[in-house]
Amino acid sequence: MTLLRKDAKRLVDKVLAQASVGDLRVQVSASKRGHLRYGAGRPTTSGDVDGVTLAVTASKGRRTATVTGSRTDDAAVAELVRRAEGLAELSPEDPEHMPPLAEASYPKVRAEDKAVTRLDPGARAELVGRAIRRAEADGVAAAGLLEHEQLATAVGNRSGLFAHHACTQVSLSATCRTEDGTGSARAGFVSHALSGLVPEILVSDAAQRAKRSQLPAPRDPGRYPVILAPQAVADLLDVFVGGLDARRADEGRSAFSRKGGGNLVGDALFDSRVELWSDPADPNDPASPFDRGGRPHRKVKWVEGGVLRALHNSRYWADKQGLEDLPMPSSLHMGGGTDDLDALVSGFDRGILISRFWYIRMLDPQQLLVTGLTRDGTFWIDKGKVVEPVRNFRFNDSPLTLLRKVVALGRPQRAGLSTERVTVVPPLVVSEFELSSVSDAV
Amino acid sequence: MPSSRRQFLTISSVGSAAWLSGIAASAAPKGSREPAPERAPSYDDQAAEALARSPVASDADIARRAVQAAMDGGATYADARLVLMRREQVAVRDDRARPVSLREHYGLGIRVVADGGWGFAAIQALSDRAVVDAAKLAVTSARANGKLRKDLGQPLVELVPAPVAKATWVTPHEIDPFDVAPIDKAEMLLEIAARAKAVKGVSFVEAGFSAVAEDKLLVTSDGSELHQIFLRVAPQLTVTAVDRRRGGFASRDHEAPAMLAGWEYLRDLGLRNDAAGVGEDAVRKLHAASVEPGVKTVVLAPSNLWLTIHESIGHPTELDRVMGLEADLAGTSFLRPEDLGERRIGSERVNLVADRTQPGGLATVGWDDEGVAAQRWDLVRDGKLVGWQTTRDQAKWIGESASRGCCYGEGHDGVPFQRMPNVSLQPGPEGYTTEDLINATEDGIYVTGRGSWSIDQQRYNFQFSGQTFWEIKRGRLTRPLRDVAYQANTIEFWSSCDMIGGPGTYRLGGTFGDGKGQPHQSNSVSHGCPPARFTANVINTGGTDQ
Repeated sequence: MTLLRKDAKRLVDKVLAQASVGDLRVQVSASKRGHLRYGAGRPTTSGDVDGVTLAVTASKGRRTATVTGSRTDDAAVAELVRRAEGLAELSPEDPEHMPPLAEASYPKVRAEDKAVTRLDPGARAELVGRAIRRAEADGVAAAGLLEHEQLATAVGNRSGLFAHHACTQVSLSATCRTEDGTGSARAGFVSHALSGLVPEILVSDAAQRAKRSQLPAPRDPGRYPVILAPQAVADLLDVFVGGLDARRADEGRSAFSRKGGGNLVGDALFDSRVELWSDPADPNDPASPFDRGGRPHRKVKWVEGGVLRALHNSRYWADKQGLEDLPMPSSLHMGGGTDDLDALVSGFDRGILISRFWYIRMLDPQQLLVTGLTRDGTFWIDKGKVVEPVRNFRFNDSPLTLLRKVVALGRPQRAGLSTERVTVVPPLVVSEFELSSVSDAV
Repeated sequence: MPSSRRQFLTISSVGSAAWLSGIAASAAPKGSREPAPERAPSYDDQAAEALARSPVASDADIARRAVQAAMDGGATYADARLVLMRREQVAVRDDRARPVSLREHYGLGIRVVADGGWGFAAIQALSDRAVVDAAKLAVTSARANGKLRKDLGQPLVELVPAPVAKATWVTPHEIDPFDVAPIDKAEMLLEIAARAKAVKGVSFVEAGFSAVAEDKLLVTSDGSELHQIFLRVAPQLTVTAVDRRRGGFASRDHEAPAMLAGWEYLRDLGLRNDAAGVGEDAVRKLHAASVEPGVKTVVLAPSNLWLTIHESIGHPTELDRVMGLEADLAGTSFLRPEDLGERRIGSERVNLVADRTQPGGLATVGWDDEGVAAQRWDLVRDGKLVGWQTTRDQAKWIGESASRGCCYGEGHDGVPFQRMPNVSLQPGPEGYTTEDLINATEDGIYVTGRGSWSIDQQRYNFQFSGQTFWEIKRGRLTRPLRDVAYQANTIEFWSSCDMIGGPGTYRLGGTFGDGKGQPHQSNSVSHGCPPARFTANVINTGGTDQ
């Protein structure tokens, strides 16, 4: 189901009306989702999922419990509230409990596209059919997912807070593999709007890169200058956003901890051209204006001129440390220049072009050191030319390296495979990056 | 079979035999797991109570109605699953309890084959009209996809048959974890945390209990009706020691695994008694020597090895990955269909078994999500690949006439597809103990627990860390190490396996978070193993910046 603002308000009020405690919050998420997968030249599983979840958080003093249910009828809502309150009573005291959020204002965000709401099983089969046929014509095996969603979220409490956001999202991914299994590339599209989605363009792009990546040559592991495509930058910066946690920094557990106590906000940690911000109201790439608890997302500059400007926090930590209330952002933008990836390549002397990363895992949070693999097209560049595909590497390095050792920045673009957080980042040239071993996987 | 059990296993036709053979098979490898407790608890009363309390059974007509509506609408196969998922999380941090979370999700998922294509729809509002509409939508979807298959000249969906079964199955348990009040769980956790925190040098302690109850009724157009209740529980205990002066820290996780079990498993784990030891480990790790990298012998405890089995054997033997159907996200496999019976992927000591009947295994069931009885079969025998994980859709692709029963959908709204069974390394015949493995090692590292890991999309090149690391010199544990990870490729790693512990050393490990599919779904799965010895490239993950 989907919820207009007035219906969401009515549902939230219905829940709140059942409350016997003053401190009760409800989060509603209502969605209609559809998808069609494809692989080995054919459509595979497909589905339409219609659902709503109601999360009721009740607090009695400092005793808090959250009960989440999936029914909206009067009896079910009453039962949900009764159980949340009952469970709160049975729950232990949470010394970090925060009083309810007061009424807040939220950025105006337009993130709905009617064309996405009209997608149905027939339209899905048509779009996926076009992707499969293009792959066939290009002589590659393609696999991927078409997904569309209409989502409404709302949060309300008994202190006057009410937030509502409606959005649509459509995404298509395509992994193209050459018939001999030695070449692979992936392309993706994600947006709130359908208009930019052209399956043929997406698949052709991946197919060409897959063919170029065929029969990769071995190259020794080591520290190399690298060019990272926007998706590779997005993959690593996702780890970076997670690492920007104020509490972990203040407690001495993160890369942003200052030795001896405190954190590194205010320090010039990165190249002076590095600009990182979040902005839910970005007109091209809108994102949610509030988090699950109803805390507003605003435009926030995280890194400005290479200086770390802010860390995100929980309400408890913000209150305790006297910080501005800053939830983990729903989007990430990185500033850059005007060159596209090809232009960066032609200005690059020698090193490795990385299309994307895979299976990134934390090795050492103190340095934000992670490991992972390159995937879907890794190339050796010499004197501004793509000379040959090379085998994938495992890397052991940090997103901080990118921001410290950046040599050139290209034109920012939406990372089409990052469907969780809106991510708009440039391709980057980085002076050195640790590729620690060779991976034979394609 | 005791009469009270029979009372709840009203089984028709072959289902019964399959269930019984499952039990028998699970006991087959003699002594392959813990000795039975002295007093086996009677679970039948608990199973009866769980089924009697289940709100799902009374909605059986809704599932039947959905299947009927789909068949009336032109489906050639339909299954409907009513699933009530309940998840509870109780956690503490130091001397503070975290807010308790209880999530319930209930609804109907209807999956159909029509015109040779797949369709699926899921709903939460279960009015007659909504159920019929959902069934019709699933058929519409299946037809659109079947037509596209035909237009593309692609093979149509064809399911192998499965014996019809009408039965129930409940996780053997003494106490439903949802019957224990959160405050009692929190009090136990606070005591555990206090004991760990009391250790000098410990800075933070996080502890928690997770419980999942999956109450599922499956109705298929074949005539099967299966009501099953699964209880899964997991402990968590992480202790962190911080050295503020030098700006370093080390964390240590307790190694007790998640289990298909009731509350009694968590109650009897002995975390209270272990807490101080975990704290001491964290402090020791903080001050441990950083490892010298190089190619070394590694002795891997079951608490470490289970995850390596999951990633390097469990995933690449999933048939959909082998066929390229998961290429876009999870990845493919280094194995190919023609490798079956031919390809050597480990030394002759290496035997790996898939088993959905294994007691305590998180992927243990009575029947899978398309009505196929749980079974046990070989994946790797004497080091050679001999089996795949399959569903009813996939069996024909490799010329088999029956499914291995690996179909699972998360909740009511996840489309069922091929998911991993419990995959376990079999003990060696020599009956070695962990000490035997260490004593036989001249120069190596003993690794326990699950640490950071990463593996490529064909499940070939991998890197695993752990929780504790001990240097082995001349057959003795000499000193603790840190910053250790081992790197290898799957075949070199398993081929280097030269010692495997005996039946007495076999332990289960497992996770609720086996991820796969698009949209993403989580599967719960266990892996049993004894400790084993390998050769791998040990790297230092400490970095050089500090």
